[in-house]
This record gives sequence, structure tokens and C-alpha cells, in this order.
Amino acid sequence: MGTTASQLGKDMLSEYQELTFLTKQEILLAHKRFTELLTKDEKDLPNNRVPMERILTLPELKSNPFRKRICNVFSTSEYKDGGLTFEDFLDLLSAFSDSATLEIKSHYAFRIFDFDDDGTLDCGDLEKLVNCLTGETDDTRLTPEEMRQLINNILEESDIDKDGTVNLSEFQHVISRSPDFVSSFKIVL
Amino acid sequence: MSSEPQRPGSREVHDYTEEYGYHSDQRSLRRDPPRVSNQNQPQFDWISPHEEEDEEGSSGPPRDLRATPLPMALKRAIRQVQQMQVPVVSSRDSWKRKNAKSLRKLKDCGMGFLSFFSLWSKTLQKIGGNFGGGVQSYFLFLRFLVVLNFVSFLLIAGFVLVPSIVFRSVGAALVNSTGQEACMVYDPNPEGLVVFYNYFLDLLSGTGFMEYSYLFYGYYNNTMVEDKNISYNIPLAYLFTAVFYFVFCLICIIARMGTAARVVVATGSSTVGDYSMIVFTSWDYGCLGDRATKLKQKNIHYQLQVDLEEESIKKRAAALTLSQKIVLYSLRVSMCFVSYGLIIAAFYGIFAATEFSQVKSGQGGILGLFFEYLPSIVITAGNFVVPLLCDQIALIERYSPSTTVIVALLRAVFLRLVSLGVLLFTLWRQITCEGAENTGECKLCQYNHLLYPCWETRVGQEMYKLTLFDFLINIAVLVLVEFPRRMVVDNWSNKLSQWVGRQEFEVPANVLGLVYGQTVVWTGALFCPLLPLINTLKFILLFYFKKITLFHNCRPALKTFRSTTSTFFFLVVLLFGLGLGTVVMIYSLSEIRPSMGCGPFRFFPSMWSIVPTSFNNLSIITQDFLFFIGSQSFSIPLFALSCVVMCYVVALASVYGKSVALLRAQIKLEGRDKQFLVKQIEMLSRRQQILKQTAGASS
Repeated sequence: MGTTASQLGKDMLSEYQELTFLTKQEILLAHKRFTELLTKDEKDLPNNRVPMERILTLPELKSNPFRKRICNVFSTSEYKDGGLTFEDFLDLLSAFSDSATLEIKSHYAFRIFDFDDDGTLDCGDLEKLVNCLTGETDDTRLTPEEMRQLINNILEESDIDKDGTVNLSEFQHVISRSPDFVSSFKIVL
Repeated sequence: MSSEPQRPGSREVHDYTEEYGYHSDQRSLRRDPPRVSNQNQPQFDWISPHEEEDEEGSSGPPRDLRATPLPMALKRAIRQVQQMQVPVVSSRDSWKRKNAKSLRKLKDCGMGFLSFFSLWSKTLQKIGGNFGGGVQSYFLFLRFLVVLNFVSFLLIAGFVLVPSIVFRSVGAALVNSTGQEACMVYDPNPEGLVVFYNYFLDLLSGTGFMEYSYLFYGYYNNTMVEDKNISYNIPLAYLFTAVFYFVFCLICIIARMGTAARVVVATGSSTVGDYSMIVFTSWDYGCLGDRATKLKQKNIHYQLQVDLEEESIKKRAAALTLSQKIVLYSLRVSMCFVSYGLIIAAFYGIFAATEFSQVKSGQGGILGLFFEYLPSIVITAGNFVVPLLCDQIALIERYSPSTTVIVALLRAVFLRLVSLGVLLFTLWRQITCEGAENTGECKLCQYNHLLYPCWETRVGQEMYKLTLFDFLINIAVLVLVEFPRRMVVDNWSNKLSQWVGRQEFEVPANVLGLVYGQTVVWTGALFCPLLPLINTLKFILLFYFKKITLFHNCRPALKTFRSTTSTFFFLVVLLFGLGLGTVVMIYSLSEIRPSMGCGPFRFFPSMWSIVPTSFNNLSIITQDFLFFIGSQSFSIPLFALSCVVMCYVVALASVYGKSVALLRAQIKLEGRDKQFLVKQIEMLSRRQQILKQTAGASS
């Protein structure tokens, strides 16, 4: 990457500004927070990848029930371990930023909710999604009948082609009707 | 429901970049082996985005790249490829692109600059992250009102206050006139020595030293300066500033409603698609901390349970027998009557209290202060007690939960605004001797000059007292109820305190308080020009106090409140308040005779009559022009033109609605086509396999 540990070059900064939705201050702040996650030895290496456990110590991600899925989705790691480079981190912040478009937010939301990475949301994905939303402990889960009723209702409402799963276009169709999605799908450092 | 054979042991991970490139079917129509080796290097189709870019043409490449859901390395590579390719664009296109790019950079700079000025943005973000969108919408609404009041104050100060101060200090001559001597008696300054605590009482009730000051209408003079360089007509300025203030507030509210309304109309009915909406969009990624996350999860759990329960209730209600339905509806109607009876009883109480207070006015000391504040006390008590009773009634009525919330809100709004109206009505009765202006005490001056030598100041004082009392009550509730409640709940753990629990921040009740305060200011602005300034300070202090109580005493509400539809509802309710203020203003301007002993309109038969008087001083050309605008030959073509424009907009809206429905049906048809094609392919491939097998067997 050619960047020194503590400074971002001006050309890199302008390149990042063009390739993401982040402003200059946001990119600099992200760089600062990312380098805080690196150990002393790692700081000198270019293009290093921070393991997922350390990314999850960030306060903005620490209690998010989707934190592991978020890291896995944005990670370009070969080993699928959810480790993020600085550029992955910027991609993450760009998708979650204020000025990102509805299309890109809904695309990434779909990928985050697709727990088995098969391109559609089937019953297993929906069940895991609802459990993340309500809490993983036994007293916060829905009862099996409620879960069944809920998943049936969801598929009835959003599965337009009636194939038993929600694909990306059907998902985006539901999202487009929600006024709050863009403002709630936001992580700001 | 899929008809693909599952290959054992090989989960094909979906390739999102392929989909982005091809928009291809996500099922395995392609029979390629799973790309285990290069899953991690997503395949990217170099050709498609380029083709897309050529088609669009209007937005430049950088915008495309930012909105592509690809990792950074790929985006950079695409950019390099695009830059290397010689663009076959005309110079005009490249100039347009450069312009768009620099414009966007300028806009980004501008936004960064403006965000520096936006008030309390970090605090609002923190509130939203910890307590959710509903509570944040209350604070956003409060910030909007602070800015509105401050700008209105600047307006009034610029056109009325500063010229008055200048002319008074310069000693501009007053316009005098002969009239009934008895009507012109007005002596607000008390005689002799005043006991010192009277100053404090005067501060609270707007009498004494505060009465004859810039705070109230009575202090302003009817100076009409006509120099060779400048001419300034204070009464006219006062009138036009008051009218423009209302118009300005109306424009601000409607502008703010515009964005919220657009969203509400676009999303249409919120009942369809509720469950998918909740599950897909309700998580707030800005939630910080374990506590906020757990509460949000509890929130969502509660919402899902409530919705599922409502669905089963609806199913049960549809299955009610006729007799049960009759019982339920008659119960609802009777409860309706009971709640309206309660509200009317509250109104009568306010009416009686106001009359009593007016009769007993002029008494000194603490008792006198109590009598002064009696209407405010009764209004506040009514606004506190009646909604509680209405909540209990709502339990009997057994509406669905969402309907209950709306009905409760509407009742509370009705109660608050009309109780203010009752107070004003009582005042009007006493000022104008119950409307009959030529009888009794009003015969001499067309208003009750014995009780009210300067009635505008009196009305202004009532509004001032209401504002102050509202603020004091808010602080008192905070200090005397919310802080002790938290201390009791936190330090004394037993069943009772667990059941009572920490305070919940009730958004609807607080918003109604804000709307009520703002309506009082609107009603009183004509008579108390500095009221917007007082209200600005009051709301700023309220912001900080409410923030403190939110973070220290409250737990987040269990019931959610949809933030965008609620913002729209708050603004609609605010418009009701503005309507009430406008009615009061119009009536005072046109119907009641201004006091003859005080104020800028003292010798006019009505406040509005200054306009025709000054009109005659304009030049003939201006008069003719203004007559023309008001005449039929201008207004009828204008009316016809606006009808045409409205018809066009309505037609456009219906066309869009129809095309949306058409596209939705088309999506359904395409889905069915896809299923049909997949089945056909399955059949064909199976036939092929059978043929292969039979060919292999026979050979």
C-alpha cells in the first residue's frame, strides 16, 4: 500500500474519497481508529489484516448482534476468517455512512442477513435473523409457534415469485417502502 | 420448492459479483462445479459496468464506482481501467463531467461547513443511539421550535422593537386625538413605595414594573415618523410584523412537513408488509453499548409479539357472534360519551376559574398571585387528570393497541388546545361584555374600560403567565417527581419499587406539552411582542433539563414509536395550534376596538383600519396596481390557472400510482415465468439423462 503507519498520503486520501461515500474527516478518523487496533509490530507492515476479534472490540460493533456477519461480509480474506484490512474497513464505513445510497445499503443488508451465503433468504436464514433481533437467550426468543407464524407472514408478504425464499430484488422491494431504513442502517465513528 | 438436485457436500457460496455483473438467476441454472479454489477472488465481469456506464451517461464514473458493492481493490482496478481507456466523449460531455465533479466537491465543502453550525447535533446522535428514533424525534422537534422562535424574535425585534426604542429615545412626537376622556385613563405604575417582594410577584405575573415595558403591547406608541429621508409608521409595522410572523411560521412548518409527507405518502399504508418491514429494517445499527442493544432487542421482541397477538385478536374479532359485537360497540359508544363528558367538565372548570380570577384581580400579596394563576393551575390539573382517566377508559374500550395510541393522542390534543380556547373565550366575554359592545360597561368605549383600561396588555399578561407556569411546572415535575423516583427505585429494592420502575420518557405527552407552549406563544405574540424571545429561552433550558432527566432518570420506552410518521403527526398538531393562534389574531385585529389609553392603535376603530388609512398615502399608481391585483380581472384568471396546475399534478400522481401497480404485477409474472422455465429445464435435462442411460445401456 505504501502508506506509512501514521499518515495517509494525499493521493490515497483523494482516491478513497472518490471510491467511497466518506468525507475527508471521516476517512482520517477511520484511519486513526484502525491504527489504534494494530499492535506495535503490525504498525510497520503495509496492508495488514486485523483479526476479527480485535475489530469486534470497537465500541460501535461490540454489542451489535450482527457484528460477526458484518465482518464476514466485508472481509476479503482468503481464509474467510472475517479479518479486515484498512480498505475493507473503509468499505464497511462507506456502506454504513450517511450519504450511501439506498441500493448499496440494501445490497449489503441482504448479504449480512444471508447467514448461509447462498444468495437467498430461506427459512433458516430468517429464523437466525429473528433470533439475532430478539436476543439469543432462551427467555428472549419467540416460541416455536410464534416463529412459524412470523416466518409464514414474512414469506407471504415479501416472496413475490412464491419460491419459498426472499431474493435480493424482493428484499430491496420491501426495503424501498421503509422510510427509516436509511437512517437506521448507519454506523458513525 | 427449488427443483435443483443438491450436490452432496458442496455448498455453493453465492457469488455476488457475478450477480451484479450478469443479473443472472441465482439458482444453479449454470452447471459449473463450485469454484472452491477461487471463491475468495470474486470474479468480476469487466464488460458489464462499462456498458452500463455508456447507457447512463448522465452521472459520471466516480458516482457509479462508489455505489458498486465491490471490495476496494476491485473498485480501484475498474477505475484504473476506465482511466486508461480513451473516452470517446465530446468536449462538451467532459466539460459537463468536470463541472459536476467540482460542483460535488463544493457541495461537500458546504455541507461540512454547515454541519459546524448545526445545533446540538452530537447530543442528538447520542440520544438516538441510546434511546431510539422516537425520543430523538422529540428533541429534533424541540430544536426546530427553538430555531423558529429565535428567528421570529429577530423579525419582531428588527421591525418593531428597535424602531420603537430609537423613536422613544429620540422623543418622536405622538399622534393625539380627542375622544372620550374616561376611556383614555391608563395608569399602570403603582403609587408610592413598593414592598420589595412585590417585584418578585410582579415578575411572575407581568404586572407592576413589568407591565409598562417593551414586554407588552401597552408600552408601544403610535409614532408615525415622516421625515424627508425616512418614513416609518410604527402601528403599520406592528401589524404587518404580526401578520408576517404567522405566515412565516406557516411556511416553515409546511416546508418541514414536505419531506415527512413525501415519505409517508410514498410508503403508503403501513399495515401491509408490517412483519417483513419490522424484521428487515428495524435494527438500529447506531445503538451503542450492551444496555441499549438489550433494550432494543426487548423492544423488537415486544413489537413482534404485539403484532402477532393483534393478528390473532383480529381473527378472533372477526369470529365474534352478533350479540357479542353489539355489546362491544355499545360499550365503546358509552365510553366515548364518558370521555367527552370528562373533557367538557374540565372545560367548565377552566371557564369558572377564569371568571373567578378576573373578578378577584387586583388583590395583592400571595393570595392575589394565587388568584392570578388560577386559570393556569386549573388547565394544568385538567391536562394531567383527564388523560389518565381517558387511559383507564381506553382499557375498557378494547381497541387494538395501535388504535388506542392514536385515540389517546387525539383526545389529549383536543383537551389541551380547546382548554386554551376556553380561557380565551372567557377573557373575550369579559372584555367585550359578552359580545354586546353597546351595552352595560362597554357602552362608552366598546370594551370594558373599567376592568381593562388596556385589555391587550391584560391578554398578553395571561399568555405570559401561562408560558411561565408551564415552564415552572416542567421543572417542578423534574425535580420533585422524576429524580426522587429514580432514587427510590435504585436504592430501595422491593416489590413496589420494581413494579413502579424507572421513569419512561413518554414522547407523545412531551410533544403535546411543546405544542401547547408554542400555541400559547402564537396566541400571545400580538399582545406581548417579546414572548417569542422568552419562549426561545424557555425551550433552550427545557432541552437541557429534559436531556439531563433522560440520561439520569429514564429507561427507554418498551413501546416503539415510528419516527417518520410521528414527526409528520407532530407537525400536523402544531398546525392546529397555529390555526388557533391565527383565529385569535384575526378576530382581535378586526372585531375588537383597541384600547384608547395605550398601544400603537389607540385612536383607530379597529387594528386593521390603519391599513386603509396608510393606503391612501401611497402614490396613485401603487394604489391602482394594488386595486388591480385585488380585482376580479386578475384573481379569476389566477384562480383558473391554479386549477389547471392542480389538475395536472393530480393527473401525474395518478399515472405514477398506476405504473407502480403495473410494475408490481409484472414482477409477479416474471417470477412465475422463471419458475416455469426452471421446471422446463429440469424436464429436458432429465429426459437427456434418460436418453443417455438408454443409449449407454443399448450400446
